[in-house]
Amino acid sequence: MKKHLIVGVKRVLKLHRPGRTLLILPDDIFLVSFPKSGNTWTRFLLANLRSPEEPATWSNIDRMVPDPSSTTKREFDRMPRPRIIKSHECFDPRYPRVIYIVRDPRDVVVSQYHYHRKIRKIGDDSPIETFVNRFLAGETCPHGSWGQNVVTWLATSEGDPRFLLLRYEDMVADTSRELAKIVAFLSLTAGPEQIALAVERSSAARMRKLEQAQTDKSGLTKGSRKDLTFVRAASSGGWRSELPAPMVGKLEATWGPLMRHLGYELTSQFPSEARDYESLGILSSTPR
Amino acid sequence: MLVVLAQFKYAVKYALGLDRAGNRFTVFPDDTFLVSYPKSGNTWVRFLLANLLHPDETVGFANINRLLPAPGVSSKRFLRKLRRPRILKSHEPFDVRFPKVIYLVRDPRDVVVSEYHFNLKKRYIEPTVSLEEFVKSFIVGKTAGYGSWWEHAASWIAARHGNPAFLLVRYEDLLADSVGETAKIAKFLGIQATQERLLAAVDRSSADRMRKLEKQQAEQWTGTKNTRKEIPFVRAAKSGGWKEALPRRLAEEIEIAWAPLLKFLSYELQSLQPDGVGVPAWIKTGEPLHRSGI
Repeated sequence: MKKHLIVGVKRVLKLHRPGRTLLILPDDIFLVSFPKSGNTWTRFLLANLRSPEEPATWSNIDRMVPDPSSTTKREFDRMPRPRIIKSHECFDPRYPRVIYIVRDPRDVVVSQYHYHRKIRKIGDDSPIETFVNRFLAGETCPHGSWGQNVVTWLATSEGDPRFLLLRYEDMVADTSRELAKIVAFLSLTAGPEQIALAVERSSAARMRKLEQAQTDKSGLTKGSRKDLTFVRAASSGGWRSELPAPMVGKLEATWGPLMRHLGYELTSQFPSEARDYESLGILSSTPR
Repeated sequence: MLVVLAQFKYAVKYALGLDRAGNRFTVFPDDTFLVSYPKSGNTWVRFLLANLLHPDETVGFANINRLLPAPGVSSKRFLRKLRRPRILKSHEPFDVRFPKVIYLVRDPRDVVVSEYHFNLKKRYIEPTVSLEEFVKSFIVGKTAGYGSWWEHAASWIAARHGNPAFLLVRYEDLLADSVGETAKIAKFLGIQATQERLLAAVDRSSADRMRKLEKQQAEQWTGTKNTRKEIPFVRAAKSGGWKEALPRRLAEEIEIAWAPLLKFLSYELQSLQPDGVGVPAWIKTGEPLHRSGI
């Protein structure tokens, strides 16, 4: 009761975090991904692109590209529009425009494993095999399994002009090119120099440096282990050395066709009855 | 000032747990959700299940919100106090929190006709809005607050089809074999139901009986309260009505927009589809639903 009263008062003062109750505006843009797929990096890229006068840091990122679960309602109401909002949710038909970042699940699971060590959800002695099994079952975060999260967006929205699908791997390979896609998608007016500046200000090296200085100023890293970093490898393909082969096989057996559809090369052969996602393009004329 | 008062009222309601739950309630791991796009037979199945679970009660519109609750119109406190395991009604598109789901799907060409009449009944649209205008908004998902029919069905089927905690039920199959399909739902819910009990539940949930109850209890139910009485809530209660109600051109627009999913659900298409339109490839497991008696 007392707890409820405090929550109620916070609500009136708009100091609560809106979470799922966020009032979505028709010009909102959502930056969506499964966790550990480059969302924070892209938030930095977008914040740096939009406001060259105020470079993104760990302490201002929740205001620049807000997160409904950690930015307050009051801040949301004061934000310049259009707002770019971070999300890890599965498909939500209320989102008017969506940038969806997808990353190879074999890298995602390794990244999430280390992140869970950092935030003390698991100990160092916790075997990665156990983690992979929980990851496959969608038990490592409240946003569904990797496959569920990705497929709810692809099945509903792929090919829609209000939906931009980006691969983390392409962003790593040519950040400027992929950021230019976002610029076009959002009809922003940013030239190559502005893009290059945003890319530079969001480099892994700079983000690491900022993280060291501001680790307790961000909800993402506050109170977590300091011997492990939030910005880790910032590369693709790390799973090849970090993930035991049987675990790679398990991930591919579960999501192989979806991974292949996304252009992720598989190490294992598939039984022929496994359905292929190649014809997903048939959805391209589907209105939302 | 009024805004502050309204907010204060909400804060008090919130503190007491009397605010409408909407989709902001706690989901328990033993919950089951009866999910569908609006106008797909959800209320009928609520009656079927309520009659199956409460053979000693007279199920009607006046008590359906208590017997098979809908979080959209119930308070959080009410939901919290329900006996578990709960069965809850929902129109939400994919929600990762729902552990066990009965997904009821209906031919969108019938759904749009039903929704058109329902929106007129509810005064959500002006009587001057034509069916043609309505179909166009329907295709882009602007007629209900739950996304388009495609988004709804695709999000649930893509994420959960093949999962043992997901039961896909076609409204058309439920019409053709009400007892058989209700038996499947009962089995999915782990309800031991004799043939007799199933028959009784189907009988007590018949369209005729629901129409009679609607006449008596329309003002006692959230779905029909303060709506136009000359348009009934329980309307045709059949399948394929679109063939007469929907101009061919409009039916084809729906078919062209959603052919892959219609094919997967074995809804016959009247328009010629371009080559290569098959069942959506993201449907992870299982074959298209080939059933007879559509």
